[in-house]
Amino acid sequence: MLEPVKLANFFTVFFSAASVIMFGATYALLFAWSRIRDRPRLMPLAYAAYVGLFISVIVLALAANLFHNTFWTFIVLLMLIGYLVAPHAIWHLCVGTHADEHEGEANPIKVYQQR
Amino acid sequence: MSQTQALWWASESFWRKTAIWVTAGSFVVLIFLTFDTVKQITAGTKRVPAYANALNHRIDYVFDEKRNFQVPVIGPEEPLFGKKLTEAEAEALVSHGKLTTQAKNCMGCHTLLGNGSYYAPDLTKAWLDPSWGSKEAREQSMVDFLMNPQLAAHNALGRKMPNLKITESEARATVAFLKWMSSIDTNGFPTNFKPIDQADAPAPAAPVAEPVAPAAEAGVGISPAPAQQ
Amino acid sequence: MAAIGISTATMNGGQKLAMKYFTVAIALFGAQVLFGMLAGLQYLYPDFLFGILDFSVNRMLHINAMVVWLLFGFIGSVYWMLEDESGVPVVGIGLGNLIFWIFTLAVVVVVLVYLLVQIGPGEQSSIWLINEGREYIEAPRWADIGIVVCVLAFFYNVTATFAKGKFTNIGGVLVMDLVALAGIYLAGMYYTPNISMDQHWWWWVIHLWVEATWEVLVGCLMAYGLIKTMGVRRKIVETWLYIEVALMFGSGILGLGHHYFWIGTPEYWFTIGGFFSALEPIPLVAMVVHAVFDAGHHKLKSTNNPALAWIIAQAFGNFFGAGVWGFMHTLPQINLYTHGTQWTASHGHLAFFGAYATMVIAFLYIALQKWRGDVYMSGNLNGAWKWKWAIFLLHAGMITMVMALLISGYEQSQIERAIEGSTWMGYFAGQSHRWFMQGMFWRQIGGWVFTAGFVLLAWDLLTIGKRETRPALQVQGE
Repeated sequence: MLEPVKLANFFTVFFSAASVIMFGATYALLFAWSRIRDRPRLMPLAYAAYVGLFISVIVLALAANLFHNTFWTFIVLLMLIGYLVAPHAIWHLCVGTHADEHEGEANPIKVYQQR
Repeated sequence: MSQTQALWWASESFWRKTAIWVTAGSFVVLIFLTFDTVKQITAGTKRVPAYANALNHRIDYVFDEKRNFQVPVIGPEEPLFGKKLTEAEAEALVSHGKLTTQAKNCMGCHTLLGNGSYYAPDLTKAWLDPSWGSKEAREQSMVDFLMNPQLAAHNALGRKMPNLKITESEARATVAFLKWMSSIDTNGFPTNFKPIDQADAPAPAAPVAEPVAPAAEAGVGISPAPAQQ
Repeated sequence: MAAIGISTATMNGGQKLAMKYFTVAIALFGAQVLFGMLAGLQYLYPDFLFGILDFSVNRMLHINAMVVWLLFGFIGSVYWMLEDESGVPVVGIGLGNLIFWIFTLAVVVVVLVYLLVQIGPGEQSSIWLINEGREYIEAPRWADIGIVVCVLAFFYNVTATFAKGKFTNIGGVLVMDLVALAGIYLAGMYYTPNISMDQHWWWWVIHLWVEATWEVLVGCLMAYGLIKTMGVRRKIVETWLYIEVALMFGSGILGLGHHYFWIGTPEYWFTIGGFFSALEPIPLVAMVVHAVFDAGHHKLKSTNNPALAWIIAQAFGNFFGAGVWGFMHTLPQINLYTHGTQWTASHGHLAFFGAYATMVIAFLYIALQKWRGDVYMSGNLNGAWKWKWAIFLLHAGMITMVMALLISGYEQSQIERAIEGSTWMGYFAGQSHRWFMQGMFWRQIGGWVFTAGFVLLAWDLLTIGKRETRPALQVQGE
């Protein structure tokens, strides 16, 4: 059963939904950056972004009445776990797909300019 | 971070197969769902009533406690333009109306079932809109309006509907199309809609002083018959 | 360091054909802007062109021009890369040219009929000859058949060329995607009196084009672009193309569900739509991580600054337009109030521009660089202010429009939908509210800025690299 959002919660829904995506991207960005540049000090910031995402999802779920129903509760859990794991999984995939890149020349791409 | 061996889960062939299986799998699921959905939205079913059934009866929009939203309800017999139609006649009329809405590009300004443009009101429940005044005047008002919309002042904005050279038979067919469309079960869209008062006017020998007014608003108890399949 | 990289190789046959498609695409982009401006003005001055060029006509031309210019841009881009990618000349270049002229002529006829005839009687003949009255695919049935014939001829050209030369992985994905593109269009080519059925199949065309096959087409173009202009390894790019296809089709095909909430379709679509809406951000997350990984991994120098800028714009536009703006109102609990309001307009503007217009423009710059004889287009480009200001004005205009429509839509969902209950009175109460009116005003301001950006863009496309004598920087890939 669907429970439509209450008028008073409209803004909360829009804002928290937008925050979910924004924090999700920030988390992914900081996570990847921290790894690629080997800056472990950035990692806590990445997880701080995830905490922001976590809070946004919960706020969204409360405002959109998602906990009133088993299926939508499951969707909330899916978002919380999925968005946490996704950057890790994608990172591994990046490393995996670029694995054989270093075997040959150290830096295969060069840019030449005349002059 | 430097694996030397090619990882199977990062290989091109693995992802090619995955892409194919995911695409094919999604598509197969979609096909199955489509078969079921098409069955459920064919005219003459619970969600999308038969053309004659809708045109020959009163259509209401009533809150359903169990589903937690308003649903269309087919009520007592109230034939459109006072003429009871067979299913074939009703389908032909609705089809003429639908063709008219397409040929005049109604969706260039209006939304139907919420899809279209946003320059003019949604038409999903146009048949039930309180703006038509009374239930008795509604049919003729709609026909008159469709034939000469530019004459009517609809709003303070100055936004008007242009004259689309709609003939009388096209206007009547369009009204039939709109009445039938209002009987489609749209999962409660639009929400919180307050339909036109369709209660039978001066109730014959009403025993209580208070007449029928709140019935339509409360939305319960008007229509005894549930949507028939 | 040797002086490598002077390439004055003339364009191949496919690329010459592509230039024709690009020219028409830009002209139609201009038409889209023009009719959008007229339609926007009618919100502010309802009597403007009333009875001459009504809102419905302007709006139809606005969105149809968009569909066709993006399509022309895609077809052009595919022809652009075809010979390069397959290693052989386009098999039916004569056919390609013929089809181009037929397609263009058909578009001109359709537009003239839209403008001069506009509407017809409520009969089958009207939807065959004048206008089908179905948002985005208003083109009359004869034109539908023409489009299918054109796309099939295009499909033949692409497939036969790849079959004759190298059938690369990009080629394979592209060919399969074109099959889907042509096949899905057929779902929109039939008449039924049943509006629920009509809208059900209509979404097959709209959603499965825009949110599935177009995305993958852009993915193919991007993959080619990464190999050719940045020298990224083919194997990596192609693996990622497959990953992207899996993620996009995996979340996109059944994502169709989020359009099936309110059109008469069964309640289980709430569940499917909700589930796949939650998956929607995953491809975006993948994009973010991979982009950072690549940027940190390779020290890339751009050989074509404007193209690179537009590709970056595409990444952001796709993220905000499809991701943020989509997710804000995709759950049925809130979509009940936002469905069919200016919310949709806000989302539509940002997503179409951000995800597709940007990509086609990027490809235009790649093409122009070669057209000018592989000239230098990196830093310190002569007259660079033009493309920089064009990109700035187009984005500033678009963002202003989108934010204005967002505010109007927010107000509309509250006043018209939630409070007034979606009656006609409620509709007009919403439309005459201050927030709505001001939103429409600022949308028009944004429109003017966007128009200025378009004019500058067109000027830049015509002149960029004209007086440039330095050769392009060369990428040495594999």
